[in-house]
Amino acid sequence: MSAINRVLVANRGEIAVRVIRACRALGLESVLAASEADVDTLPARMADRVVCIGPAQPAASYLNVSTIVQAALGSRSDAIHPGYGFLSEQPALAEACRDNGIIFIGPGPRQISTMGDKLAARQAVAKLGVPVVPGSGLIDQFSKASYLAEEVGYPVLLKAAAGGGGKGMKVVHRPADLQSVFREATAESRSAFGDDRLYLESFIPNARHIEVQVLADQHGNYVHLYERDCSVQRRYQKLIEESPSPRLPGELRETLCRAALRITEAIEYENAGTVEFILDQDKGTFCFLEMNTRIQVEHPVTEMITGIDLVQEQIRVAQGEPLSFTQWQLAPGGHAIECRINAEKAGDDFRPSPGTISRWRPPEGPGIRVDSHCHEGYTVPPYYDSLLGKLIVVGDTRMEAVARLQQALGDFHVEGVDTTIPFLASLVERADFIAGKVDTRWLERVAAPPLRGG
Amino acid sequence: MDLNEDDVIQIIRYLDESNFNELQLRLGDLKIVVTRTGSPASPLGAGESPVPAASPAPPAPPLPPPQPAREAPPIAPAGQTQPDGENEPVGGQRIAISSPMLGTFYRAPAPDEPPFVEVGSLVDEDTTVCIIEVMKLFSTIKAEKRGRVARISVEDGQLVEYGQVLFLLEPEES
Repeated sequence: MSAINRVLVANRGEIAVRVIRACRALGLESVLAASEADVDTLPARMADRVVCIGPAQPAASYLNVSTIVQAALGSRSDAIHPGYGFLSEQPALAEACRDNGIIFIGPGPRQISTMGDKLAARQAVAKLGVPVVPGSGLIDQFSKASYLAEEVGYPVLLKAAAGGGGKGMKVVHRPADLQSVFREATAESRSAFGDDRLYLESFIPNARHIEVQVLADQHGNYVHLYERDCSVQRRYQKLIEESPSPRLPGELRETLCRAALRITEAIEYENAGTVEFILDQDKGTFCFLEMNTRIQVEHPVTEMITGIDLVQEQIRVAQGEPLSFTQWQLAPGGHAIECRINAEKAGDDFRPSPGTISRWRPPEGPGIRVDSHCHEGYTVPPYYDSLLGKLIVVGDTRMEAVARLQQALGDFHVEGVDTTIPFLASLVERADFIAGKVDTRWLERVAAPPLRGG
Repeated sequence: MDLNEDDVIQIIRYLDESNFNELQLRLGDLKIVVTRTGSPASPLGAGESPVPAASPAPPAPPLPPPQPAREAPPIAPAGQTQPDGENEPVGGQRIAISSPMLGTFYRAPAPDEPPFVEVGSLVDEDTTVCIIEVMKLFSTIKAEKRGRVARISVEDGQLVEYGQVLFLLEPEES
């Protein structure tokens, strides 16, 4: 067991704050690797040391493996926490850490690679007897796509093999559209991921997105921490997440959690991860979607109902400690809901709204948690994603949590930049949401009427 | 790859004069691992400061006191670790040469060779002033400015950050 004394936090924004807090709680020092645009932010003030790793552009700072590793070596950090996004799911960083004697707080490069290639992941999971969404292998030519789409049945979803986070996915409704969408998807995938391999999946119209949080240590202990329901999405980007899932039959929940564990064990996974499933509400069946090999944005939802600090647990297992609890000791209670607060103008097609925050008054009170790096006077830079923070509420029942969420969103006052708070506040007042009757396309139906056609 | 005795001595010297405890070198099939033994608090390592060498604000304590769940209102002085600012009151019109990248700063092309520049050296746009290493990749850094070296702000073998001032020059009439 090699102990961690100092952690290099290779990320920014709210997740950097989150990781630094976990380091403090464990009595560890933290070093923030910050771009030039981020050297004077809240996480920079909280960290024990800041090293400026490069200019604002992510490619020259947060995405540069050599620089991140050198920053860890030079600051004598013995571990790197990658957060989410940026290099968190790049096997190259995990590999470079291993080669330089640095602990990577996450799974091994092999597990990251397997699950990072969405097609390889599908195949690995199908072998375990876990259902995957009906679909194809690699499509190397258009004629094959057309044949496979007919076989799977329209509508179909074209997906990038290297994709993730909702990027590189396109729905094809009619055979006549296949060729043009195929061309678009190939080009988009090449520019976004440097990899234009596509595959095709059946598109499930009435679906819920359910994911299972897993944790594993180096001693062969695997646990799941139940599910999160992330069905409120806009263009495959999650907006509201909750746990437990409303309207998920108990036996299906058991099956999903067991399937997630089976996958985790089969690839000898280590650290925190999330197995995502699609639930077909018409058929009552589920399929594996993908596995994310990192901590996720919505992890607090699980923390609030299980009482487990997932980030602290990540650090502990990375230094070789066994998990601090067993599956049987886990007794989830209550209901938690999270909203992502973005600096975006909902009324203008969710256009990002960078600028200086002149007023920042987050809600407070029992059962309310806000994870954020924002404060009055903070300038939201234009170089990164628009997440300002996360509002998490917990209640004894879902109804209590929903009521608390409605209240808390009303009490959340931000000025200076446009935020999604008013939009979210109106969403959580809707009868469908209150009743838990949503699917992955609900938001697009109620909130974003298409501008033309389609 | 052929390595002779001098090369190996050179490699060991690199480690000896660096802040690192271990050096792994891979050349094709050949892998060399050199480890520093004995007390972990090597003379070089002991001097490590928790804050970048130069800081305009009074140095922050290395470990902030534990705080309650909510963070203190963020009213800390701006520019606590401003990487690109002048790090000291600059007399006259000194010109700064800043680091274009994060890495390890070396003043000389090799440990047993003289430094590229000393205080008093005249430099111009094309003068190499130092080497910065990022994971075994060595980049030579040019002055890109004309002047006389007035101050070398970084110790050999130190971690430098992006934008950190490396040298200060006195302007020189051309």
